[in-house]
Amino acid sequence: MIEILRLSLPISLWAIGFSAVYALQGLSCSRHWPDDLEARPVLLAAWFVAIAVQALGLMAVLYAPSPSRFIQSTAVAIAGTALIAAIWTMMPVLAASVCQ
Amino acid sequence: MTNPPSPKRGTALRLHRAMARIWGSDPRLRGWFTTNNNNDIGTLFLIVATSFFVIGGILAMLIRAQLATPNSAFMEPQVYNQIFTMHGTVMMFLFAIPFFEAMSMLLLPGMLGTRDLAFPRLGAYGLWVYIFGGSAVIIAMLMGLAPNGGWFMYPPLSSAAFSPGIGADVWLLGITSIEVSAIATAIEVIVTVLRYRAAGMSLSRMPIFAWYILVVSVMILTAFPPMILGSLLLEVERALDWPFFQVENGGDPLLWQHLFWLFGHPEVYIIFLPAAGMITTILPVMARTNLLGYGWVVAAAVSLAVLSFGLWVHHMFTTGIPHMGMAFFSAASTLVAVPTSIMIFSWIGTLWKGRARMELPMLWIMGFFATFVIGGLTGVMLAVVPFNWQVHDTHFVVAHLHYVLIGGYVFPMVAAIYYFMPLLTGRTRFFKLGEVAFWLVVPAFHITFLAVHMAGLLGQRRRTWTYNADQGWTALNLVASIASFVMAIGFALIILDVAVNAFVAVRGRRNPWGAGTLEWAAAIPSPAYGFASIPIVKGRYPLYDDPHLALRIARGEGYMADTSRNRREALIVTTARGEPSQVVVLPGNSVMPFLLAVVTSTSFLAPLFDAYIVAGLALMGVVALALVWAWGLGSRADEGLVDAAQGAMLPLASESADPPGWWGSLFLLLADSVHFGSLLFGYAFLWSVAPNWPPQSYLQPQLWAVALALAGALALTAGPRLAVRVIRRSRAAWPALGVGLIGALALAAAAATVMLDRPNPAGHAYDATLWLLAGHVGLHTFLTIIMLCYLAARVARGYASPNRIGEARIVALWADFTAATGLVALGAAWLPGAVG
Repeated sequence: MIEILRLSLPISLWAIGFSAVYALQGLSCSRHWPDDLEARPVLLAAWFVAIAVQALGLMAVLYAPSPSRFIQSTAVAIAGTALIAAIWTMMPVLAASVCQ
Repeated sequence: MTNPPSPKRGTALRLHRAMARIWGSDPRLRGWFTTNNNNDIGTLFLIVATSFFVIGGILAMLIRAQLATPNSAFMEPQVYNQIFTMHGTVMMFLFAIPFFEAMSMLLLPGMLGTRDLAFPRLGAYGLWVYIFGGSAVIIAMLMGLAPNGGWFMYPPLSSAAFSPGIGADVWLLGITSIEVSAIATAIEVIVTVLRYRAAGMSLSRMPIFAWYILVVSVMILTAFPPMILGSLLLEVERALDWPFFQVENGGDPLLWQHLFWLFGHPEVYIIFLPAAGMITTILPVMARTNLLGYGWVVAAAVSLAVLSFGLWVHHMFTTGIPHMGMAFFSAASTLVAVPTSIMIFSWIGTLWKGRARMELPMLWIMGFFATFVIGGLTGVMLAVVPFNWQVHDTHFVVAHLHYVLIGGYVFPMVAAIYYFMPLLTGRTRFFKLGEVAFWLVVPAFHITFLAVHMAGLLGQRRRTWTYNADQGWTALNLVASIASFVMAIGFALIILDVAVNAFVAVRGRRNPWGAGTLEWAAAIPSPAYGFASIPIVKGRYPLYDDPHLALRIARGEGYMADTSRNRREALIVTTARGEPSQVVVLPGNSVMPFLLAVVTSTSFLAPLFDAYIVAGLALMGVVALALVWAWGLGSRADEGLVDAAQGAMLPLASESADPPGWWGSLFLLLADSVHFGSLLFGYAFLWSVAPNWPPQSYLQPQLWAVALALAGALALTAGPRLAVRVIRRSRAAWPALGVGLIGALALAAAAATVMLDRPNPAGHAYDATLWLLAGHVGLHTFLTIIMLCYLAARVARGYASPNRIGEARIVALWADFTAATGLVALGAAWLPGAVG
């Protein structure tokens, strides 16, 4: 089961991070968001956290390798994909209008 | 390479006869209702799914007949609405998913080197639920009671106000029952792939199709629950007027779109990935080489599966979502092209390094390439927001999805049918209608849907029943309709070709394609027991490593060839390394799955006729039959280690801490978690963005109710865990189980306070959501109470021991889940009131 988690956890973390940033963006446009709080810095921070989590995931896969060469190389490829996905899919927080 | 074995036909024949007696289905008609063998269930699944494909195809022809000419009077608009709704529904829910499930059931045990799927009775149950649910939907259509709101059933169009009658209810209840069937099959497949494999089949040696189907099954467990929740909300709104989607009472129709597309977009990949798995299996054999980049393909399949969950909002680009939200999903939509491309380059590279032979399966794969790449590219076009706005809800989208679904799914599945026909029927194709059909279907498909693309670009809206001659779409629609009829003739020829060859073609030899994977080592057609002995594998292509493996298996030179115990035994291996770890005894023939499916389907379908008492009785029947089903498993005495051959003495699965049932529960709870998470998402969505919030007041938590919930959850977690510990020490378990029971009752009581404090769920979406949260807790505590009582009875009757601890661990797992989600649900209910 650990080997299955090694393959699936980093990319699942991307799904969680992506959903969380999208939810945060939705919340920032909702009636519950404080008027005096700028949304973009918060979203940028959330994006950086998401990237950091993926980077940590990749490092964990690299520094605690699987005894199986196949699992190890596949897990690195998936964790790398997750890191790229975190950078690419949440990049709109840089420039896109938040609530327009 | 090993030396050829000396012939010992007597041994093989004796073994075959003994195995066939043990694993055989009941004779005659009774056998169809009591069988749970994967060959029988898979074949029935395949036949029924193909029948639904034919029905869906006929509906498609009716649509094209209507659209062939402007101002057509072929159909009334009301009928047309039902026809296009049913076409999408039948193809997506009744054909596409069940068809690949059927193929998985038929092929997976052979590919993995095992004898059957992990839960044969669950597979049979899933089949019957699917047949009853699907038939109900079709019968409703024939009676003119079909849904007419499109296959994604957007409210408010599908609400009681705008869709009176039972059409929408048929869809919601019928499709939900089919989703239950799909979840049952997915759990069965996951546990099979992870634990039921040949000895030595580590994860790195698994056939590539097993990887794909593992990924897809996990996707089913995570994608279907939001849809089930959405259907539940809409049905409750229609039946009881709980206003989840009614804006005036705090609901929001966009919630439905989120829940539907959280399912709907991964659904596309749930359909595509099994087809990709088939291509990845067939193409290397046709190219007479091995797959290029096995590890990359696995990584691409896993990545694609997860990334596909980040695409759902691209179906909602025209709903007024802020630019940033759209950009997230636009970016994710472009990203999925990367893993898809890795797969395509792997296939091209495999062809490049091999020597392809243009047999019929390969022709269909070529048809796939030509079609799917175009579908993928139009998908990237649709991911670009401004373009998406222009073509939203036009025939361009219709053409795109048909390129992806027919090109990306149907063509590969036709290839798979022809490729595996010798294995499934034992016959070699003789009548060559298949080639003719190919040259009818593929060109006609492209003519049809290129014309539909163009009509969409020229502005033709989907789901409009006719158009005027001066709109400039006449020629395109006529061409599309004529070509679609040619395509239909081609598909009819395929079905005819397969049927004729399956029944009257000459008997064939084993492994005619020269494949290297294990399914071709079984006798053809595959007998009920699959393999006479469980093979030992040392590589990814066992038949290339040992060309005489089939004979060795037949002669019993693997694991589990002993028939003296006279029961259906299979081998369980460790998940990663594939080392033999347990012997599992699979259940025999039983009518129980059929009966349980009858009462399950009755509980789903009776509300259509306002027969709520019948539905309630049927639900009680579900519980009763499930208990009878479970009671028949296990034993009252420890058997100890079992001789599995090859010098291995292994414990029975029923005398292990992690029997298959524990794994099955784990994955069922994964689906349950996603369902619960979707409910929380819906609550948060309404709370944050729905109009007409906040409600007049929030629920105020009472300290004693909070304390009751905390104490109940604690007792519910501690009790069953303690029970596991005392059973391991051969001490009395009832005090611990009693603690768990009291905890469950306390948690249920805390949930009841929520309902009592807000007695009118029809008043506002907030109240309705509170009732659902409390209902989640109530349902799970009810189930846990039943499980605790069941476990107490099992312990009292001697079904538990320090070795036979699996059932207690399963109950503990459910109790933990109930306690954890119960606290979260009640916390979510109380939180807004607590923070003011």
